[in-house]
Amino acid sequence: MTALSVNPKILIFLFSAIGLITLPHVANLPIPIFAFFSALFIWRFGCIWQPKLLAPKKLLFLLTLSSFGLLFSQYQSILGRDAGTSFFILALGLKLMEINSERDLYLITYLAFIVAGSQFLYQQSILMGVYSLFVCIVLIATLVIINTPKPNTVTALKKSGSIMLQALPMTVILFVLFPRLEAPRWMIFQESSQSLTGLSEQLEPGAISKLGLSDELVFRVKFKGEIPPPKQRYWRGPVYGHTDGKRWNITRHQSVVAKHQAKLDFSGSGYEYKLMMEPQTKNWVFALDMPNKFPATLRQISTYQLVSMKNSQQRAEYQLSSNVNYNTGYLTKTEFKLNTQLPVRDPSVKIRQLIQQLGANKSNPEVFIKNLLNHFRTEKFHYTLTPPLMGARPIETFLFEQRRGFCSHYATAFVYLMRVAGIPARVVGGYQGGKINPVGGFLEVRQANAHAWTEVWIENQGWVRFDPTAAIAPERIEQGVNIEQQIAAGSANFSSINIDNSALSLLKNANMLLQSMDYSWQRWVINYNTSNQNRFLDSLGIGDLRSLFFWMLGLIAVVTIVLALILFPAYKIKQDPILRLYLRFCKKLSKVKLIRQPHETASAFAQRAIIELPAQQVQIQQITELYLTLRYSNKTELQTFKQLKQHVQQFKIQSK
Amino acid sequence: MQASIEQFLTVTNQIILGKQHTISLAVCCLFANGHLLIEDIPGVGKTTLSHTLARLLGLNYQRIQFTSDLLPADIIGSSIYNVETHEFSFHKGALFNQMILADEINRATPKAQSALLEAMEERQVTSEGKTYALPKPFFVIATQNPSHQIGTFPLPESQLDRFLMRLELGYPNQQAERELLLGKNRHALIAQLDMVLSPEILAQIQAAVTEIYVAPILLDYLQALLNYTREAAEYNTGLSPRAGLALLTAAKAWAFMQQRDNVIPEDIQAVLPAVAGHRLNASNSDSKAIVAPLLQNVAIP
Repeated sequence: MTALSVNPKILIFLFSAIGLITLPHVANLPIPIFAFFSALFIWRFGCIWQPKLLAPKKLLFLLTLSSFGLLFSQYQSILGRDAGTSFFILALGLKLMEINSERDLYLITYLAFIVAGSQFLYQQSILMGVYSLFVCIVLIATLVIINTPKPNTVTALKKSGSIMLQALPMTVILFVLFPRLEAPRWMIFQESSQSLTGLSEQLEPGAISKLGLSDELVFRVKFKGEIPPPKQRYWRGPVYGHTDGKRWNITRHQSVVAKHQAKLDFSGSGYEYKLMMEPQTKNWVFALDMPNKFPATLRQISTYQLVSMKNSQQRAEYQLSSNVNYNTGYLTKTEFKLNTQLPVRDPSVKIRQLIQQLGANKSNPEVFIKNLLNHFRTEKFHYTLTPPLMGARPIETFLFEQRRGFCSHYATAFVYLMRVAGIPARVVGGYQGGKINPVGGFLEVRQANAHAWTEVWIENQGWVRFDPTAAIAPERIEQGVNIEQQIAAGSANFSSINIDNSALSLLKNANMLLQSMDYSWQRWVINYNTSNQNRFLDSLGIGDLRSLFFWMLGLIAVVTIVLALILFPAYKIKQDPILRLYLRFCKKLSKVKLIRQPHETASAFAQRAIIELPAQQVQIQQITELYLTLRYSNKTELQTFKQLKQHVQQFKIQSK
Repeated sequence: MQASIEQFLTVTNQIILGKQHTISLAVCCLFANGHLLIEDIPGVGKTTLSHTLARLLGLNYQRIQFTSDLLPADIIGSSIYNVETHEFSFHKGALFNQMILADEINRATPKAQSALLEAMEERQVTSEGKTYALPKPFFVIATQNPSHQIGTFPLPESQLDRFLMRLELGYPNQQAERELLLGKNRHALIAQLDMVLSPEILAQIQAAVTEIYVAPILLDYLQALLNYTREAAEYNTGLSPRAGLALLTAAKAWAFMQQRDNVIPEDIQAVLPAVAGHRLNASNSDSKAIVAPLLQNVAIP
């Protein structure tokens, strides 16, 4: 087959399959690489009708060299996810330019399968899974078309669809049983270009004029029993304990963790839940305040925050338990010092006056706290996601001039005032609330739920949580955040809008269903890693590798046999008794190398046999005649059948 | 009946020497009530064969020499004004005979060709709005020169399909040719021939052929053959359903000639080259080579 004689239909099919496969990579690859590939693709596609424009060998060589140059300029290597994918895509584009034989078509198809698989290094959503499945159907249809003399698009698609369906049981067996290999980290998410948003290492509310709310999922929680009310849904993150007046930094001090844990005193019943973290840039795990029990893969630091010791850039699920009632006990001197730390610049007179006015009292902080919260509530403070910039003295500007801000403004101002009054206090970051997915019965917490609140240390009670944002905008806490509403409001206006539109609610339900499906997909498919596999197999009683191996082979054998029985009814052992007798006769003859071809008529075969065995001419002729009468005429009598049976039984090859 | 068939074949084989199989196929074609196309170079006995068949069947015989200036009216007939009755009356053309030898059919223009082929299919002729039935039985034996010869108008596939079989006579072998050279003048021999099968008996035979039993598994085989021609890369166009019917009828007639009342795969294979050859590849006259992949790739049930 030369380049010219390939059926254009095959090429069109191949090109559409490759187009579909490479399309999602637009978002993943650098523009020059994708542009280079597209140019090659379009060029070769045009050549289907204009074969004269095909690149000569020398030009192809130059193109190959330049693609290597391009690859090098982008990555300096072919290792790593992006570089590897780019390499394969460029190879695919170059191979398209060189279709000289049928073998090239197969090679291109296999390359395309690799490129299709590489898509999963970027995105593992259920939608991408469905898309890839569809693309694979088109790709297999291409293989079907290459192998059909008279290609027909619909038949080919149907055939490849049925091939995919037939492959399904085997896929499931291999997915569940085949030993999982943990991919090396560099293969998956090593790229620096990816920026995952989340809580940051420091708070600087005065420098933010617009808080971007992202709908991105952070984690999902499935509670074993009842779900805590919105008021209790504080997901503990880092503690911002150190400030220079503008910025608030994470407490770096590492005191002995065991001591902090020992002081903790839980009371009341707890919540048990499974927390599934989406990939993060930081290894923070947001447990319900306050985590009580957690797996060994997690570590609790002295601020009671949980951190993961594993790669945070992979989805991970944790079994946790938390109590909302707790007492953190006494405060050491160091801790006291740390949590009453103030910026170098002394507080202004205005601040001191405010504190005086609100009845600050070291020995009875609760009165002060109550007054301060009341102050926020009564003194025309507004909750907004678009606060003004606060300038050089952000807290004072906020407290006395602007009086507009979001959670971080309130939390930092609150803690600052406490500390000026000599009361130990700190800012806690994390997430608040979460939306219940009624379909899946789990809680979804998104980036928009990010929150900052405060903790004040009170004698005999330990660290106690206060949320000044709740004082100014209780809706934020009690109803859970609603992104659309917040953006629409933009200011302190928090009137709740109840949209009671059945069409919209249908849409919402559909969205919920999708989210629920995605959760199951993440939980059962994507998150099925080595440890999950081991646990699952253990529960089935498949402990060691040996029995796993036997189980796998056994199931594959069963599936193969079942499929074979379904797919090859023609091969079922259900032969006509007449034919069986004749085949017995043929088998006897096969001993002297007389083998009947499938297309050979009985008479023609008999003639060959007579030439070989002239002595048995009569017998052979009789059997052949009887067989033809029995098999092809409408006068099949038992008598004739018995005759044939007798003849065949008596037939024996006489050696010459 | 069988005795007269035997005699029929024997006599024909005395006139055309060394072509037993081809003659059997030609007779099979008549029994299946189909028209016959003989393709070969001039002088191998095409005309002699058709003339012999006509004589032995006692049919009135007309030879039409197809030339490039032959007009449809020459074949069908035309209306002529009668001066005495002041009316037009239809004068029947050469077609109104029981056996037609259309000699060198591909020398005539497509217009004349299609006039004949239409009559073959419908067994009637329409002229000036009036329909005239053709006599019964009605056979056309057409001969044509291989299409690569000069001055030929090849028959289109649609018209080739009207012929049940296409046969090649080919050169006789050494022995047969010697006998031919030694023997009497063929024209004289044919002139002496008497009718062996009367038209009534022929009609009986044709009725008996339709009664031959075909087992369902043989229909499977036949369909597998048809499907193979439609799907395999060797053939540009597959066999039509009409071709399938033709194959079935021819196989029945062949089975009848072998004195069986049921068809066996051997019958189908025997008639396959003659029935399918010209339908699969009109330009190649080697029918056996055309159907060879078909025979070798379809398993017999």
